[in-house]
Amino acid sequence: MGGRLYLRLLFRKGRFLLGFAVFIVILMIGLVGPIIYTKDPTSFDGPTESPPSLEYPLGTDTFGRDLMAQLIHGVRTSLYIGVITALIATSAGSLVGAVAGIKSGVIDEALTSVTNIVLSIPSVLLAILVASYFKVRSIELVAFLLGITSWPWYARAIRAQIKSLRERDFVYLSRMAGYSDLKLVVEDIFPNIASYMLMAFVSYVNTGVVGEAALSILGLGPSRSVSLGIILYWAASREAFRRGQWWWFIPPGVTIVGIISSLYAIATAVDEILNPKLRKE
Amino acid sequence: MSKKFIKFLCMRLAFFIVAYIVAITLVFLLPRIIPGNPLALLLTQILQQARVSRPEEIKEVYLVLLREFGLDKPIWMQYLDFLSRAFVGDLGTSISYYPRKVIDLIAPALPWTLAVLVPAILTAWSIGNVMGAVAGYRRGSIFEKVTMTFSFIMTHIPYYWFAMFILFVFGVRLRIFPVGGGYSPWLTPSLTPQFVANLLWHYIPPFLSIVLVSVGSWAIGMRFIVVNELEGDYIIFSESLGVSDKILYRYVFRNSLLPQVTGLALAFGNVLGGQVVMETIFNYPGTGHILFQALVSLDYIVIQGVFIILIATLYLANFIVDFIYVLVDPRIRIGE
Repeated sequence: MGGRLYLRLLFRKGRFLLGFAVFIVILMIGLVGPIIYTKDPTSFDGPTESPPSLEYPLGTDTFGRDLMAQLIHGVRTSLYIGVITALIATSAGSLVGAVAGIKSGVIDEALTSVTNIVLSIPSVLLAILVASYFKVRSIELVAFLLGITSWPWYARAIRAQIKSLRERDFVYLSRMAGYSDLKLVVEDIFPNIASYMLMAFVSYVNTGVVGEAALSILGLGPSRSVSLGIILYWAASREAFRRGQWWWFIPPGVTIVGIISSLYAIATAVDEILNPKLRKE
Repeated sequence: MSKKFIKFLCMRLAFFIVAYIVAITLVFLLPRIIPGNPLALLLTQILQQARVSRPEEIKEVYLVLLREFGLDKPIWMQYLDFLSRAFVGDLGTSISYYPRKVIDLIAPALPWTLAVLVPAILTAWSIGNVMGAVAGYRRGSIFEKVTMTFSFIMTHIPYYWFAMFILFVFGVRLRIFPVGGGYSPWLTPSLTPQFVANLLWHYIPPFLSIVLVSVGSWAIGMRFIVVNELEGDYIIFSESLGVSDKILYRYVFRNSLLPQVTGLALAFGNVLGGQVVMETIFNYPGTGHILFQALVSLDYIVIQGVFIILIATLYLANFIVDFIYVLVDPRIRIGE
């Protein structure tokens, strides 16, 4: 099957199309939104706590800030955090998982124990603990903390996949041909786990987006920035939901749900097509 | 009880002890290795706060801080001190509630957290597994479509946002449930029917939030396992022998439940992390609430304490799950 055929198969799936459309819309809001909708998300100019109107499509908050502008900048920040989190978690997880999978004996056992121990500590709690040590948190720091606390389940999965691949004939043949560990990973193993890695990357983007908001609500979000979580934090600290200001906390939450469910729909559809075990002819 | 049974449990116990030591070591090391030495920064900041609020206690607070952080001793002694105290539950003295012990602050809050966490997880687990199993048996049915769509949506809603949503819809708009707290502030805790009813009334929103958000992932997982299990050789063989559907379903359900029991251990950690954040939304008087207050006042020793207590609770819960697993899995229970 060539690349074009894959694409054609993909776009025939309803779930993929829906997820793809939703994600592209949200991505565009984050990428070009600030250029089209130029209001400053941190300016105190507007009326206070005004419901959505023509001038303020999503209303304003207690400080007269425009919530539409906040949402647009928030999407941008949250997606950025999601991608960095995913980069860090998948790199750390791939490295630990691949080394543990290829090597056996002491190295494997040591890495597996470390993975299991970190896995047993809830990543949100660990991220909360570490984040509390920093008085000023940059966007990148928050993403780093979320990535570095959430790699273990993926490392474990990669290790298991490599271990089972190693028992396959083509890998034995490459070994006999004198391939080095590195060459083995690059030529034999990587192509077989690439679609899985893609799935993991996408789910780590979700980890980043959701985790950022969790940290932010506790007051541990990125300092001096606007993210979806920070909007929820402001809404929570001003008790927006207790005072009936739905326009303040509903849109950022719906956006988070939109991001994670659309990405998940895309990833499972891609997996069903690329993964021979799931492909239905 | 077989030897394998005991060996398995001992291995797990050893793992949890090592993991607990690692967690405590992290708590000890992190503030000391993070660039900019947050410990020193915090010390000065805490002292400044203390000076404003309690000038007469400043010297006392300073001495307590020095002893808490053990900064007057060599680092390896500080570490051993910290470790041995963490094992007996001495987590230091709170700064913002000085001179109360951290453990005395957290201990009353822990039952609140567990009272929501454990029943909510078990309820979600039971409902989700039955839902997923039925969806797996009846592939293509309307029941499958409805439950799986519901599950797909619910698994992608973060706990904390769903909590806000529930509060807004049921508390503010419909006025069915209270808008937060553990019980109405004008009541004093007692065993009167009035108080218990009030307690339950406040209990339902956080309980329901966790159940609704987490039931979906159990259902999706169970459906997947059941669908795979139905293709197993033993099912095809039994079917060809003419075994009734009812008995077949029972085989499949029991076998599919095993991996779900293992999943329970991981779920405890995830839900706990979510609940801590959720409690701050509901103003629920659990450990999450204590943690949030400590974060606001930068009561660093309480933050560490909540972390350590939650990890210890979690490991205990995981160990109980292991125990249950051993009881249901015949391979370990009967193995020699």
